[in-house]
Amino acid sequence: MSDEHIVKSYDEELQHLNDSLVQMGSLTEKLLYDSMNAITTVDKDAVSKIVESDAKINKFRSSIDQHIMTILVKRSPVAIDLRYAISTLKISQDLERIGDLAKGNAKKILPLPDDLPPEMLKRIESLGEMVQKQLKSTLDCFIEKSVQKSLDTIKSDEQVNDLATASIKEVLEFLSKDKKNLDFATNLLFVCKNLERAGDHLSRICQNVHYLIEGDYPQK
Amino acid sequence: MNKELRRKKRYQAEKRFQLYGIIAISLALFFVGLLVFKVFSDGTSAFSRTMIKLDVTFDANKLGITNVNDKDEVDNADYYTLIYEEFIKSYPFSNREEEKQIIKLLSPDYEFEAKNYFLKNKDQLNKTVTLLLTASDDFDQLHKGNFPRDIPEDRRRLSNYQLKIYDQFLKDGKVEKIFNNYLFSKGDSRDPELAGFGGAILGSLFTILICLLISFPIALAAAVYLEEFAPKNKLTDLIEININNLAAVPSIVFGLLGLGILLNVFELPRSTPLVGGIALSLMTLPRIIIPARASLKAVPPSIREGALAMGASKVQTVFHHVVPLAMPGTLSGTIIGLAQALGETAPLLLIGMVAFVVELPGSPMDPSASLPVQVYLWSESAERGFVEKTSATIMMLLGFLIVMNSLAVYARQKFEKKWN
Amino acid sequence: MELENKRESKVISKNIDVFYGDKQALFGIDLEIYKNEVTALIGPSGCGKSTFLRCINRMNDVIDICKITGEIEIDNFNIYKPDVDVVRLREKVGMVFQKPNPFPKSIYDNIAYGPSIHGIAKDKNEMDHIVETSLQKAALWNEVKDRLHEPGTGLSGGQQQRLCIARAISINPEIILMDEPCSALDPIATAKIEELIDSLKRSFTIVIVTHSMSQAARVSQRTGFFHLGKLIEMGETEKIFKNPNNTMTQDYITGRFG
Repeated sequence: MSDEHIVKSYDEELQHLNDSLVQMGSLTEKLLYDSMNAITTVDKDAVSKIVESDAKINKFRSSIDQHIMTILVKRSPVAIDLRYAISTLKISQDLERIGDLAKGNAKKILPLPDDLPPEMLKRIESLGEMVQKQLKSTLDCFIEKSVQKSLDTIKSDEQVNDLATASIKEVLEFLSKDKKNLDFATNLLFVCKNLERAGDHLSRICQNVHYLIEGDYPQK
Repeated sequence: MNKELRRKKRYQAEKRFQLYGIIAISLALFFVGLLVFKVFSDGTSAFSRTMIKLDVTFDANKLGITNVNDKDEVDNADYYTLIYEEFIKSYPFSNREEEKQIIKLLSPDYEFEAKNYFLKNKDQLNKTVTLLLTASDDFDQLHKGNFPRDIPEDRRRLSNYQLKIYDQFLKDGKVEKIFNNYLFSKGDSRDPELAGFGGAILGSLFTILICLLISFPIALAAAVYLEEFAPKNKLTDLIEININNLAAVPSIVFGLLGLGILLNVFELPRSTPLVGGIALSLMTLPRIIIPARASLKAVPPSIREGALAMGASKVQTVFHHVVPLAMPGTLSGTIIGLAQALGETAPLLLIGMVAFVVELPGSPMDPSASLPVQVYLWSESAERGFVEKTSATIMMLLGFLIVMNSLAVYARQKFEKKWN
Repeated sequence: MELENKRESKVISKNIDVFYGDKQALFGIDLEIYKNEVTALIGPSGCGKSTFLRCINRMNDVIDICKITGEIEIDNFNIYKPDVDVVRLREKVGMVFQKPNPFPKSIYDNIAYGPSIHGIAKDKNEMDHIVETSLQKAALWNEVKDRLHEPGTGLSGGQQQRLCIARAISINPEIILMDEPCSALDPIATAKIEELIDSLKRSFTIVIVTHSMSQAARVSQRTGFFHLGKLIEMGETEKIFKNPNNTMTQDYITGRFG
């Protein structure tokens, strides 16, 4: 926001929207970290906590929805304000989806098989870390309203995809070696896929940040 | 507590102010009431005329009429002697002096009154009829109670003998009061009972008509030009100031102008409503221009814009829209200006409309009096009869002014168009 | 936009400067108004948008101290040429004002005034026809057809404004200028006028000055933003309200200064 509105409460409403979204983002960040942590450390007790914070994220989303409706009704925003309202609406949706995916991952916790190759788990861990890094930079580019950062983040989603593809391939190899690991491997496949999809949501968020700032989506 | 006190004071101040206002209005009303009361108490009796009944036989021999249808004969018949002889019979007298005193109770116009009656009723030849003849001013005033009877004879206008006759007439039921139509139909006269302000009313109407015909078109044209067309520069400013000054010029100056230019240079007829109207129109011009300009200014600019935007030219805009909308205000200004002109005396004195005119004017070119000048003339006369006539004329003048001012209010309300 | 190549210029302003005495009110306005479109002019009070509007039918000529330089071309004809007949120009360029200003005459006479001074109607029948069609085009006919001879000032504010629009179109102009036509009206009356503007643009080119940005967004195809006597930005209305090029435009339409 370059200048302040003549109506101060309008600024306050937009600021509140911004703050809510950032809070929702950091909650999602925490959730993603917790869920990855729970998977790799097989911490089943963490699941209930994760479910709880996902519910919190969902609540955030519906309150942001309401808030945006109020702004639309009260202020009839145009130009940057209109784009801001529309983008935050979409961003909150994507964040909620990421939360759901992370919660889904956490629910799939199974004990690690003995013959699990350590580098495979490492790779999935690093996939999770990469998605977490993406989430962080996505939130940064929203907070800083940075076009360059959003473009960079979108670009680095390719690496997430590559890593996810590689991980999936590795899990499939692991599965084909021994059928008794079917349950565990399938869950792991879902985890990889979910992380990849979380990455896709993140790049959509970045596209929306780009739209918010520039008024159009980045060229493919 | 302090606040309470201040509030109380404030309310008191408000009440005090209202009280001042009420006192001021009451004072103003009191003076107006005094004027109206004085005028009415003096003037109402002028609207009645005392008549004396006389039984007369239109004897053909006495009148010297042989043929009733002979116009010449009837016109030249001797009504004077007929009435004279009949009237002095109505009370016994012993000498020439008493005879004179009897006939003096009648207004000198009895001859014509009898003639007029006979001309309308020629079939009354040789028959006896009861005529109502106008009593003399002194008799009239006595009957109206304006002359005290209990003062010494030499200070009275009527002698003891005449008072006795009056009492006898009263007893015989010979005295009657009728509505004084002479007041409206006759011009000036030396005899108060025969004097009327008919000539003055006509003279005033002619004067006002001339004044209207001259001042209204000129004033309207001037106002429209100044307000709508004239460029705003030093010259128009100067003109504007001078118009305002003109409105403040004493009216007698316009009279001098009329005397110096209209009478001496253009040699227009003296004492006429034509000259009076022209002199008064000079005075009235600025008094119409100023309200006319004000009402033109009051026409909302949105109307002008609307018309201009429709492709109307400036002149079309002004004459189709602005002037009609300004008309009510202009008209009421005009009527008020004319009302002022109606009451104006000084300029008329100077151009000679102060003459003694018996004849009613037939046109603005005839010499004539006017209502305010008539007031001035009669107020100078000594006879008691003229005092009541003066007041009656004032009542007439006030009546005219009230009518004109009501017309102005009516014009404003009736024709005013609401634009919002 | 796909319409782009079908567009035809109706009014072209070239370097218009307007002075009121020593004060310059407009600075080199260059803009283009397209035929059969609604062009909205927005901007804070005193920005010169109304002044510019009044340049298009030379209503500023009425003001003595107003001096105008530059050219405005309507159909490639410069209306500021010295020999231009202003009356003819205003027959072609009608105007509707901020405050409804019907003449204090009957509804019928309000409409009939323009055609009668321009000698458009040959007889009474033709005049009746003009009055009816004008009122119909202004979506007022059904409301007033039974009281054509009652005073136009007796109508409601919104009806008065539609009467003024009917009056403006009675002489069949090519361009209609509207100077904040809804600022004195309630929302329903405003909606009716906006609906009317939408239908009128098929036959006329409309330029509207408005203080309501949402109105500009609703009724216009193109919007120009004026500030301190200068045209800051002119473009497709959608673009202006979604993503204007100029930050000043953005600050104004989002309510960041005024």
